[in-house]
Amino acid sequence: MAEKEWKPQILGIICNWCSYAGADLAGSARTQYPPDIRIVRVMCTGRVDPLFIMKAFIDGADGVLVSGCHFGDCHYLEGNYKAAKRMFILKSLLKNIGLEDKRLRMTFVSASEGAKWAVVVKDVVDTVTSLGPSPLKEFGH
Amino acid sequence: MAEKKTKKEPAAKKETKKAAAKAAAPATAAPAASPEKALGKDARVGVYICHCGTNIAGSVDIPAVQEYVKTLPNVAHVDNYQYMCSTPGQKKIEDDIKEHKLTGIVVAACSPRLHEPTFRTATKTGGLNPFRFEMANIREQGSWVHMHDREGATSKAKDAIRIAVAKASLLQDLVPKSVPVEKAAMVVGAGVAGMQAALDLANAGIKTYLIEKNPTIGGRMSQLDKTFPTLDCSQCILTPKMVDVGRNPNIELMTYAEVAEVEGYIGNFDVTIRRKARGVLTPAEAEAKGIVGGGCNGCGDCDAVCPVIKPNPFEMGMKPRKAIYIYHPQVVPLIYTVDFDSCVKCGLCVEACGDKKAIDLEMKDELVKVKVGTAVLALGYEMFPIEKKEEWGYKKYENVVNSLEFERLICASGPTGGHLVRPSDGKTPMKVAFLLCAGSRDNTGVGKPYCSRFCCMYSLKHAHQIIEKIPGCQPYLFYMDIRSFGKMYEEFYYRIQDEGAKFMRGRVANVLEDPVTKNLIINAEDTLLNRPINLEVDMVVLAAAVQPSEDTDRTRKLFGVSKSMDGWLLEAHPKLNPCGTTTAGVFLAGVCQGPKDIPDTVASAEGAASAASIPIHMGEVELEPYFAQCIEEKCAGCGMCVNLCPYQALSLVEKDGRKVMQVTEAKCKGCGTCGGFCPGGAIWMQHFATPQIVAQIDAFLLGGEQ
Amino acid sequence: MREYAFFLGCIAPNRYPGAESASYKTAEKLGIKLLDLEGASCCPAPGAFGSIDLNVWYAMAARNLVLAEQMKKDIALICNGCYKSIWEVNHKLKHHKELREGVNEVLKGIDMEFKGTIDVWHLAELFYDPAIVGVQKIRDSVKVPLTGTRIAVHYGCHLMKPRKERHFGTTEHPTWMEEMVAALGAEPVEYRNKMLCCGAGGGVRGYDLVHSLDITNEKMINLMEAKVDALTEVCPFCQLQFDRGQIEIQEKFGVSYNLPVLHYCELLGLAQGMTPQELALDLHGISCEPFLKKVL
Ligand SMILES: Cc1cc2nc3c(=O)[nH]c(=O)nc-3n(C[C@H](O)[C@H](O)[C@H](O)COP(=O)(O)OP(=O)(O)OC[C@H]3O[C@@H](n4cnc5c(N)ncnc54)[C@H](O)[C@@H]3O)c2cc1C
Ligand code: SF4
Ligand code: SF4
Ligand code: FES
Repeated sequence: MAEKEWKPQILGIICNWCSYAGADLAGSARTQYPPDIRIVRVMCTGRVDPLFIMKAFIDGADGVLVSGCHFGDCHYLEGNYKAAKRMFILKSLLKNIGLEDKRLRMTFVSASEGAKWAVVVKDVVDTVTSLGPSPLKEFGH
Repeated sequence: MAEKKTKKEPAAKKETKKAAAKAAAPATAAPAASPEKALGKDARVGVYICHCGTNIAGSVDIPAVQEYVKTLPNVAHVDNYQYMCSTPGQKKIEDDIKEHKLTGIVVAACSPRLHEPTFRTATKTGGLNPFRFEMANIREQGSWVHMHDREGATSKAKDAIRIAVAKASLLQDLVPKSVPVEKAAMVVGAGVAGMQAALDLANAGIKTYLIEKNPTIGGRMSQLDKTFPTLDCSQCILTPKMVDVGRNPNIELMTYAEVAEVEGYIGNFDVTIRRKARGVLTPAEAEAKGIVGGGCNGCGDCDAVCPVIKPNPFEMGMKPRKAIYIYHPQVVPLIYTVDFDSCVKCGLCVEACGDKKAIDLEMKDELVKVKVGTAVLALGYEMFPIEKKEEWGYKKYENVVNSLEFERLICASGPTGGHLVRPSDGKTPMKVAFLLCAGSRDNTGVGKPYCSRFCCMYSLKHAHQIIEKIPGCQPYLFYMDIRSFGKMYEEFYYRIQDEGAKFMRGRVANVLEDPVTKNLIINAEDTLLNRPINLEVDMVVLAAAVQPSEDTDRTRKLFGVSKSMDGWLLEAHPKLNPCGTTTAGVFLAGVCQGPKDIPDTVASAEGAASAASIPIHMGEVELEPYFAQCIEEKCAGCGMCVNLCPYQALSLVEKDGRKVMQVTEAKCKGCGTCGGFCPGGAIWMQHFATPQIVAQIDAFLLGGEQ
Repeated sequence: MREYAFFLGCIAPNRYPGAESASYKTAEKLGIKLLDLEGASCCPAPGAFGSIDLNVWYAMAARNLVLAEQMKKDIALICNGCYKSIWEVNHKLKHHKELREGVNEVLKGIDMEFKGTIDVWHLAELFYDPAIVGVQKIRDSVKVPLTGTRIAVHYGCHLMKPRKERHFGTTEHPTWMEEMVAALGAEPVEYRNKMLCCGAGGGVRGYDLVHSLDITNEKMINLMEAKVDALTEVCPFCQLQFDRGQIEIQEKFGVSYNLPVLHYCELLGLAQGMTPQELALDLHGISCEPFLKKVL
């Protein structure tokens, strides 16, 4: 494997109403971005159980992106506030166990921000790439 | 949901060796109580890969993907097709379900936001529960965004399908909840869009609440003098509509009111309306209070005695009004309004009103609750504050006006009786410059990047009006392009050219004032002749950009409607669903969705009204059954979720001597906020259950090929 | 005393040495020490270089910036053209990674690297900023108030525009320089089309002299209409166009205005008591004598 260029494995958990729609819009507009992300759709970022993220890291994910609506725009009023709070706590937890907290990222991309979605993904891929493979990878496998 | 109550052991799904070994995962166990099913036992998934012509096949190696999918666990059948959404494509699913005894369907194609309903129907027709369908998005989030990376797009497609198969293996039968639809609708904003929508709904037999924040209906159109390209008088065509609205028995008009709160969902919106205290009783309200033959009849006796003078916003502040006022004589309803911010409570009006006893200076705001099945937002627009483009001197030089002020100045019922005069000295201008795209198509960060769409046409109209009204008066139009795209618009453009208006292509660099004459000097470049222009004129009219009206942001949030990048409200689909929104049951009409002239506004209003009437005529709608369920065995009764739910759908109840959480399904909207929190994993989110999502994550990261 | 690396530019030392000496001396009285930026080259001129080869423009400006980075000092300068080059290239290189990498590739050849560690300021904005100098301090430093004179201000385009990229707020009706003129005891005078270009910038002077003088002439007409005793600016290139340009206008169009044109630092120098000799005012194209008579 070593001779092949290493590509990060990044999980994106994104809400149906804003970020998923924004990602679709990037598609309709043919905005190109790196393919190193896999998406799991939930109705709202409020659904994102911190355990999902921990599970992903245990399974060897190099990065996790959680993306929802802008504050005030959540389809269910305030799911994204609650998710954001959880992400803060989770980030400090990651630091405590020695994982760079930059591997977890929460962003807000609205249904009309296709271009922003592409920028966000590129940025996350760049960040995670520069961090290198997750140290938990070996532990898991 | 009260089916088998068998107790099954956890994680019946046989994951791959790899994954199973790693199942130190949190809460992968199936719930042990009511929502629990034999998850994924003997799952047989059918996978269909769509080419979408070359849209997908152009960047994704479909045969390779198909070969790969065959190696995935639980996959019982794989097929591919040119267009899965076509009738033959759907037929494949329908037939295969029986033939291959499928328990779950995966279509790898476009976005579920586009075709999930299509394939759910096919799944249902084939005899499976429609919720046993899962989509893998390999177009919008695959081939289209990795067009030149065939390898990347192909490997992403494989992963997306593996993730979808993992979920499809664990899907359960769900029954959508049918809810009755209240046979009433609401329209917010009573400009021409809102009025048209309300009339259409009312004429279709639907009780319609029409909410307008101003004291009268009519919106911007009632401020216009004439309308392009036919030049018919705006008030003449609008007033009959306003009267119709006022008289229609199915329309309950609430002017001087705003939406304060919205609860519920399609079919059952509970809307709280704040009726602002207008200080004056209608005849009906007076009668209810036992004042026989009383209430405001619009006589204006109060107006005559009121000592407080304020600028009238309808006349763009160019004409005075009293503290008790109407905008103009044709208002609907013809009821006076007290502006309590400026009223000094001298009581003279009460005296003047006499026996009609219409005025109540102690009136307070009132909250009214109504229930409606659907709602139409028709919030319109306001003028961009063009003084921000300092170079043109609006609000600095007296003889620079914006286009809406020009409409009032040229209108026979306006502050000058239709005689166009210069604000500085009351003289008739003989040279008038119109600056088009003022603040529109502006990428400097000060103005708006979009085209405001009607300024070209109304500026042509304005040029015509001064040529017609003031013999010898010369209009100059500074433009970037003339966008005369509508029916008979281009013809109108030629007509105005022939009438002698002068057109200069070029954006105006700045406008300067001669401090003595108050004439204005325009510096521009004629980009067709490649020459600088210095032109002295008597008056400048800025065809200012338009922007969403003041309260739009607050109101849209109440209804859960998103906005586009430019601030206008976001439609469900720009081409195929321009009146819908992402909130089921809420529709858009008129300019609030994006600038439109009157013909397009009315067309969009009729579209919105028709869309809003469909659920009402159907009588009931189906809600996606993504409700939360309590796994009582696991619930510790801590009650944390109860406070988290934004819709108060959860409560704690006593059961078998202990406290457990209970869900009120009718209130739950399925966001999953509770499910994302519960520390004991006691909340089962239907269709987005923890084991289903964890299976997706495992499938992505641990693979699953056999 | 705050210290800045003083980026001189070309026109001031070659054409208006008084503006140069005035800058050092007036700044010092206001608590600013201007240090020589050894080895600095042309900024390079934004119109002449920038409109022909942007990469050369970036690289040369970056070299000047690196010199200041090595001194660990922010740059102060007294010319709008320099401001456009030095300020804008600094801003661009700081914010665009790819551009920065490209420029550093070039700088490698002379063992330099742009790091983005300093800021760039026009001396006039440092004078106006109350956190650094401020109008009050200027007023306090005046020994010979310019009472009884009417002075118009020319801001200059490269300083103020494009608005998106600058930080001066309004570009149409600025008045901060007028405040600084009033602090000297003179009466600042508004005039028609104040924000019109001097006519020189953007390569116009080099490309089409008559056209550029046309613009200058229009400015002169507006200034004469406002009956001013002098024009002040903060850019030696504008100064050149207004000052020597009047002679060219006389030659080409046959009208003469004889309006003295002074860099704000020269004006400030006079008010702080510097002599016309110290300010080399005799090197101006248009005699400053009528103005000097009013104040001295
Ligand atoms: C100078 C000018 C000239 C024009 N001339 C022409 C012409 O000749 N021909 C033509 O076809 N078009 C013309 N137009 C365009 C025309 O004005 C619009 O197409 C039309 O008015 C749009 O109607 P609307 O109902 O969408 O919006 P509006 O007329 O803005 O109506 C919106 C209504 O909603 C109310 N409202 C807003 N927010 C709320 C809220 N939160 N709660 C309750 N109520 C609310 C407002 O008070 C208003 O009554 C012109 C526009 C301008 C600026
Ligand atoms: S009470 Fe108010 S509204 Fe009535 S007349 Fe007096 S000021 Fe006018
Ligand atoms: S999913 Fe939970 S938090 Fe969301 S609405 Fe339903 S009960 Fe409330
Ligand atoms: S719906 Fe998008 S974050 Fe809640």
